[in-house]
Amino acid sequence: MDFYLGLLQIMGVHTLLGLSAYVVLLTGQVSLAQAGFMAIGAYVAAMLTVLSGWPLIAALIAGALVAGFMACLVGFPALRVHGLMLVVATLAFTEIVRLFFFNFDYQIARGSIRVGPLGGEGFRQIRYFPENGWTTLHVAIFIWSVVALVMAALWWMDRSRAGAVLRAVGEDEIAAQSCGINLTAVKVSAMTAGGAIAGLAGGIYAHYTTHIEQTNFTIMVATFAIAYPILGGLSSIFGTVAAVVFIQGFLIEGLRFLGDWRNLLFGALIVLVMNIRPSGLLDARTMATLRRLFGRREG
Amino acid sequence: MLIVDLVQSIVDGLLFGATYALIGIGFTLVFGVMHKINMAYAAASVGGAYAALRLITLIGGPAWASLLIAAAVGGLFGLLIYWLCFRFIPLSNPLATLMSTVGMFLLAEEIIVHTTDGMPQNYPVVVRGILDLGEFMIRGDLVFVFACALLAMVILLYLLYRTKLGMATRAVSQQPIAAQLVGIRLSHVNALTFVVTGMLGGFAGALIGSAVGLLSPLLVVPLTIKGLIVTVIGGLGSIPGAIIAGLLVGMAENVFQYFRGVTERDIYVMLLLFVFLVFRPGGIFSSTVKRD
Repeated sequence: MDFYLGLLQIMGVHTLLGLSAYVVLLTGQVSLAQAGFMAIGAYVAAMLTVLSGWPLIAALIAGALVAGFMACLVGFPALRVHGLMLVVATLAFTEIVRLFFFNFDYQIARGSIRVGPLGGEGFRQIRYFPENGWTTLHVAIFIWSVVALVMAALWWMDRSRAGAVLRAVGEDEIAAQSCGINLTAVKVSAMTAGGAIAGLAGGIYAHYTTHIEQTNFTIMVATFAIAYPILGGLSSIFGTVAAVVFIQGFLIEGLRFLGDWRNLLFGALIVLVMNIRPSGLLDARTMATLRRLFGRREG
Repeated sequence: MLIVDLVQSIVDGLLFGATYALIGIGFTLVFGVMHKINMAYAAASVGGAYAALRLITLIGGPAWASLLIAAAVGGLFGLLIYWLCFRFIPLSNPLATLMSTVGMFLLAEEIIVHTTDGMPQNYPVVVRGILDLGEFMIRGDLVFVFACALLAMVILLYLLYRTKLGMATRAVSQQPIAAQLVGIRLSHVNALTFVVTGMLGGFAGALIGSAVGLLSPLLVVPLTIKGLIVTVIGGLGSIPGAIIAGLLVGMAENVFQYFRGVTERDIYVMLLLFVFLVFRPGGIFSSTVKRD
């Protein structure tokens, strides 16, 4: 049972990560910086609960805010360039953050042990959950409540004017600009929102794994973050969730019986899916069909 | 002594930077022709070097032959990537090919890990010896790497500017529709670009193997990042830019390593990229970057 709860926790964090990339992708930008924002959120939230004794929720919010602020800062120079240049710039950002934490020491004595981040060894003893008597079930429920909250917010945003503006920029920048949309403002806001969500994911991740280090926030994680929405399709947030279930549930856990071969199949299946469904698993047509089947859900 | 050490690390970096230049050219050439990034490029390049290493230990032969085999295998991998990740995917969707090549990247890396059990493999030495120039030492293998990379660049530039294939490639990169109108088959040119860049990549991978002395799956990610940085600093689609940026990045890497140590050096290389993005977003040669 704990195994499945653990899987649920991983899926929750990865859903948040995917959603953070989804917001940015809606504006047509590919950001590989999400792992960097996640790392910032993780370290900030963990340092606040462990070193300063903040309550969890406050620490998570602070982590998300700091990550969002960094995303805003990165957004300005990075968004001067676009498309593929942005991919490389954000990729470099993730690496900078990772290498920063690789060289980052800040430990204080607490009783007989020293706690805090210690360079390459990482940050141990983030024991908020066990110290406060949370069980795996509580943690899983907590994570998915946060995910549900973020999804509801994004779903609502998607249906509001903000969603239309984001998609307009994503579809055609020049057309959007001539409608009076301020491109920079839209892109930087999307980047900030994405960064904040990734920071939230990082904060949660730090607390349920109890130990974080720089190798948790590599380019691979950033790649996964954009892989979920792209594989799932950008028509709806549910595509991202579907892709998380497909990758984490089926490709990673479901194929475990294949042993080593699973990893080989993983890349091959992504190539295959992109060949068969270039616009993602739940593309616009599938979503329309689903909506017809389940009555009128959208106006 | 500071100046001597500094000059020494600059020279070493410049020489090794030639391999970054080759990888950067590969990224930039595909971008120029198709306006797409082939994320699997560096992985396939290292894969080509691995395959060459396997073949040379299997059938035997001089160490330099492994460079040529790596180029040939790399070309094959390039074609394979084109067929699996680009040929049947609508090019109007920029995310689809990005993702498919990322999938290919994961696949290539896993194949390498799977076939070698993740252990680093020793690469045969092609050239040994050290040139002793008084206070300076120049590693013979690095000079060899630099010379080979220059040779590959000259051959590539000859291909691009003196042959019909090169003319077609440049035509497609300037105006795909006009190129089709005069009878150039887009899919042929695209496939050939992948073969040529793949050969370049395999060759570069083998050169890196011979300079570092071993091949390891851990080479793949840093090489991808450095290659992409070189591509952006040089200006997307610009070959001379990629060459100069490759040397610059190689040099910067060694200088930062000299001053700040190996764990911090890459931070500064990335910051160098941001300096370029802020002050010269089009890259060193920013003529071709209007589109994207």
